[in-house]
Amino acid sequence: MARVSRNTLIRWGMPAAWIIILALAACGKPAEAPPPWNVVDAPTLRAMMADDRELPVYNTMSEIECLDHRIPGSQCLACEEIEKDISRLPPDKNRVIVFYCESAGCYRSCRAAGAAVMAGYTQVHVLDEGMPAWKQAGYATETVERIPRGSIPSVRAPALRQMIAERRDLLLVDLRSEQSYREGHIEGAVNFPLYRLSRTYAEIPLDRTLVLIDDRGFRTLLAGSYLEMKGYRVMRLFRGMQAWQEMQAAK
Amino acid sequence: MLAAITLTCLPHTSPASQDCRFCHDEPLYRVDFNGSVHAGNGCTSCHVGITNIEKHRDGKEKPAPVNCGVCHEKIAKEYLSNFHYIQEDFRCSDCHRNIHAIRKVEDKHVKIAIIEKCTECHGNADYTASGHGEAVMKGNRDAADCSDCHGLHSTRVFHTSLEQYPAEAREFYTQKCKRCHADSVMMTRNNLSDKMVAYYEGTYHGKVQELGYPAPVAGCGDCHTKHNILPKDDPRSSIHPANLEANCGRCHSGFHPRFLSYQAHPDYTDRQKYPALYVTFLFMGGLLVGTLAFFWVHTILWWRKVYWEKDRMEREGIVPPSVVATGEGLQQVERFSVKYRIMHVLLVLSFFTLVLTGFPLKYAGTEWAQTITRLWGGAHMSGLFHRGAAFVLIVGMIYVAWESLQFLFPKGKGRQGWIGRLLGPDSLFPNLKDLQDFKGMIRWFFNRGEAPKFDRWTYWEKFDFLAVFWGMFAIGGSGILLWKPEWSSWLVPGWVLNIAALVHSEEALLAALFIFTIHFFNTHFIPNKFPMDRLIFTGTYRLEELKEQRPLEYERLVAEGRLESMKREHPSIPLKLISATFGLGSLLLGIFLTVIILWSVLFG
Repeated sequence: MARVSRNTLIRWGMPAAWIIILALAACGKPAEAPPPWNVVDAPTLRAMMADDRELPVYNTMSEIECLDHRIPGSQCLACEEIEKDISRLPPDKNRVIVFYCESAGCYRSCRAAGAAVMAGYTQVHVLDEGMPAWKQAGYATETVERIPRGSIPSVRAPALRQMIAERRDLLLVDLRSEQSYREGHIEGAVNFPLYRLSRTYAEIPLDRTLVLIDDRGFRTLLAGSYLEMKGYRVMRLFRGMQAWQEMQAAK
Repeated sequence: MLAAITLTCLPHTSPASQDCRFCHDEPLYRVDFNGSVHAGNGCTSCHVGITNIEKHRDGKEKPAPVNCGVCHEKIAKEYLSNFHYIQEDFRCSDCHRNIHAIRKVEDKHVKIAIIEKCTECHGNADYTASGHGEAVMKGNRDAADCSDCHGLHSTRVFHTSLEQYPAEAREFYTQKCKRCHADSVMMTRNNLSDKMVAYYEGTYHGKVQELGYPAPVAGCGDCHTKHNILPKDDPRSSIHPANLEANCGRCHSGFHPRFLSYQAHPDYTDRQKYPALYVTFLFMGGLLVGTLAFFWVHTILWWRKVYWEKDRMEREGIVPPSVVATGEGLQQVERFSVKYRIMHVLLVLSFFTLVLTGFPLKYAGTEWAQTITRLWGGAHMSGLFHRGAAFVLIVGMIYVAWESLQFLFPKGKGRQGWIGRLLGPDSLFPNLKDLQDFKGMIRWFFNRGEAPKFDRWTYWEKFDFLAVFWGMFAIGGSGILLWKPEWSSWLVPGWVLNIAALVHSEEALLAALFIFTIHFFNTHFIPNKFPMDRLIFTGTYRLEELKEQRPLEYERLVAEGRLESMKREHPSIPLKLISATFGLGSLLLGIFLTVIILWSVLFG
């Protein structure tokens, strides 16, 4: 008995040891946990939309941005709105729903998708790489209310700091979400979150030069063009709060 | 071309432009449009979808959105990957604002028009104050406008200003700079040197960049900045002497100010500007050509002699005694102890690692360099292996130096008689007999005498040994300086690093070619040893071979009564198999590397 088991040990011991080592090596580098929603690429989404004309596809950007250009057949529903009121999504929790946003990072669609998953939706999809991927695949977009792009001057963070010290007619308009604004903003800035700016812009005084501030500088061009169209004088902070915070950190 | 576009875009079934202007009667459409570049088109060439003018007037029929891509097909295709479209959803009219009055820009004003257009939004003070911007504004049609680097309708999405400078952006823009600055006609016309790109490509920065590891190494824009590109005598320039410390300091840290005398675009052949580099270049070139020429001639003469001799013996039916040895002649005697065999294997492994990691950098532009670097797992990994192998080699060299000292000054004897040992038959140091042997060999090559009788070490073996030793000073010393250039600047000024790079590279070429051609041929490929001499791996050979190849050593061993202690068992089959595999593998790899290196030297 003892001899048999020793032979078995010799015969199987080495391969077994190798398997254990390999398994341990595999455990050492755990794969990143997949998100609790499905990621689809642009051609897949297009096929899904062709199959199901009623498919709820949500543009999670602000209404201003969404009406300017969106995937044909999609609806405008900013992720902040979804987070506030989940009942704006279809009542059937097993319905296939898709979120997308403007940038490749797709931070906003992931936030919306996260909220939907939390609320019990089982068929949540996110467009991989967002609208840039849709455009790069060569697919068209649709326009409801086109905003002509203005040539909005942008100021760099150090120049803005100097301008704040020298000029009295500036109004810093922080377009980020209420929460980001609460977590920290430039002194004196007022908060007009972009997701509801189309409803609140009239509260902004017309006699000041606005300096628009967003997270990274991507969204102020369209917001600025919109406000310029409404009669405001507008500038924008180059690279947004990110640049301001980097400047503060470097000091 | 224009005519073709006009023809294809003429209206067919829709209302005439006259009818449109009946209502749309602003001067823009009545006057300005007729002077515009699109004047040959009717209203409905662009504003399609009106079939009935009454329906349109009553608001029942609206024109479809304008699609410029119908005529401007190529641009429309390019524009699909444009940053402005992808990220900000710009459409044609967002830049070409006054589309109805748009006029053709004269060729000589195109660059200025482009700059004016881009700066409507991008108020880039850096660019407009730069050398390029200033030159364009003065009417220079070679200097880069925005579109020369960024593309016009194909502006790429790199996010350079938002996140960290991505590797592909550095690669992309460096290629853009190179495209003009390596154009000799354009550079000559503007009194600039077209060699700057080639000089840069000869440096570590340029080579690593070319090898496809662009992220952590300086591309053009890293030193010259992205827009504020000015000559170095301008105090605003990033390469002005006063700004150099900050400029280099963006990547390098912990350096002494004299680090800054490193030349980023050195010209080895410029005697006036870089005398030290020039002299080093000549010296290293001379050493390379001289050494190789001398030994190649030596090897060829030797090979001829041996081959002809072999042929003669074959014809006359003479078999060398070592081949038909019997009795005591078959006895194996030791030449290399286990320690030296292991050291040789370590030397072989580290040398190949150094060559396989270093030469791809030296010939960074070639296809094989890219392939080999990919096999290592990228230039970064390749660099780590290079340093690891260098460490093994340096440790080995220190050990050999220590052993040599022990040989000269053994315990008990000290300095007594060290000159005798240095010039004695067991030493690897050249002596008078080597000179005589060399003369004897030459006479033998030309059939003017018998082959000389050798002792333990032949003169070419001594050269192999000492060449590695000299090489280690040149290549190891320069390599250590380049290992951490910032720290080296506390010892030597930056321009010495230029010299170190040159020495390291040229000495490496000499070493590799010497080993792969001369050492390989002398020791392994010579007809009486072909395809290889396994002696260095098994450590023993026949007594008869000892008598034949090193008669003086044999006589000495017999006279000193040491022969008995040198006798060994015949090497085992596994040892012989391993030796043959490793040895032949090394030889084949060496030959392969020689071919690709020579190919790159001659045609690269």
